[in-house]
Amino acid sequence: MTPLEYLAAVLVIGGTFFGLVATVGLLRLPGLYARLHAASKSDTLGSVLAVAGGAVVLGVGTESLKLGFLLVFLLLTSPTAAHAIARSGQEQGVEPAGNVDAPWIDEEEGDA
Amino acid sequence: MEADRERDVLVPVGRSETLRRTVTYAVEHANEAAVEAGETATIHFVYPARWRSFDIGRGDADAAESLLERAIIWGREDLDELLAEDTPETVTFESAIVGTNEYIFGPSDFADVIGRYADANGLEQIVVDPSFRPGGNAPLLRSFEAELAALGFDVLEAPVTRQTRRRLPLTDIGFAEFSVIFTASILFYFALGGWHVTDPYELVTGVATASVVTLTLAGVSLKGGVPGVRAVATTLLRFGAYTPILLWEIAKANVALAYVVLHPRLPIDPRVVEFDAAVWGDMPVMTLANSITLTPGTLTVDVSRQQFVVHALIPDAEDDLMEGTLERLVRFVFYGRESARIPSPLERRDDGTDRDGEGSGPKPGGENGGPAKEDA
Repeated sequence: MTPLEYLAAVLVIGGTFFGLVATVGLLRLPGLYARLHAASKSDTLGSVLAVAGGAVVLGVGTESLKLGFLLVFLLLTSPTAAHAIARSGQEQGVEPAGNVDAPWIDEEEGDA
Repeated sequence: MEADRERDVLVPVGRSETLRRTVTYAVEHANEAAVEAGETATIHFVYPARWRSFDIGRGDADAAESLLERAIIWGREDLDELLAEDTPETVTFESAIVGTNEYIFGPSDFADVIGRYADANGLEQIVVDPSFRPGGNAPLLRSFEAELAALGFDVLEAPVTRQTRRRLPLTDIGFAEFSVIFTASILFYFALGGWHVTDPYELVTGVATASVVTLTLAGVSLKGGVPGVRAVATTLLRFGAYTPILLWEIAKANVALAYVVLHPRLPIDPRVVEFDAAVWGDMPVMTLANSITLTPGTLTVDVSRQQFVVHALIPDAEDDLMEGTLERLVRFVFYGRESARIPSPLERRDDGTDRDGEGSGPKPGGENGGPAKEDA
């Protein structure tokens, strides 16, 4: 194996690890918002690392350029999607788990 | 006389080619009403600001003031032409800049700000310039005029002919915007095809896709104006400097989250934090919101204007957020070095400067001078 392949392997293993963390987090964390942390952060980094590993193996060229685009779009869209879910949860009045003061809960009572 | 403000007219002012004629129309309209009632009418020229009262974009504020002055001069000229000599003036003029203390974004926000001014001054009639499109004219949003009408105002559109700006037939897209978006889309297409696209069929499909993208998205992505090349280049350069910092923050976020998630006792401390960010404009707010989501222990739940609602998962996350490192970085990317000195959310909160506090400028010299160095 060349050093580059080692690097790629490390990246892909790292990606897999964070993918695993995302899954465990999604299962273990309480409530919608906490779970979204796992779904947005770990999942993004997991995919980004795996894609970067692929780009390293492919070397400089059209294919890795496409993977580069994929990286940028992943970094842009994952947090946006998480935000969309969180926001709709908030609009539906979903309460965060744990001992948490959520401003939107009081607001709704105030408005009613 | 005080209560009777029916003749008075509000004119939202912004950079547009047909402002001159809108002023003429408003003056004619107000003059007619004033003559009919036998009393004077007042025209309010109101400039909805897209910057905030902090010391950034002083140039913008100057430009707005000079535009308002010009509008009044034009109004006086028109009035002189309408009136015979030695008759008392029928129309008086006032001007104002509104919305400097908040982040206004879509047409509805602009309508809201203008509407508040109108309510405060008891105005009911608004003369709009059809080429002035505050907040852009995204196909999904109601237009500025429709928003104003929905607020219950009497909206009159100035009958102006729009010829100065070249538009593509049947659309609302200017020629410059079309070229910019079209070039970007077709370059992206070529990049995906490996640059050597020679097959005529592929060329035709490329042009077709780029056209569809441009027609549907040009109004949203450029908001009716093409930014200057230098501004875009500096922002991109600063963004290039920001990216490694962001990636490092993302890495830290994930290690922290992995620790929490894999820890047998699940040591989390979820809470909801609200704060007002000192960033304004759609791109900066988007960047900050996404950066918050990607960095340690925080997730953006809701953003309305400049108020952020953030869910924090781990104990240190709230402190990090209040220190405002990210916010400062985002400001650096979009507005340059000086703006990075605005105090952090924590300091702003301690000062008791809430967002209603009119004219609460920046406190000189926040504790941290350098925008990019400190790292809590």
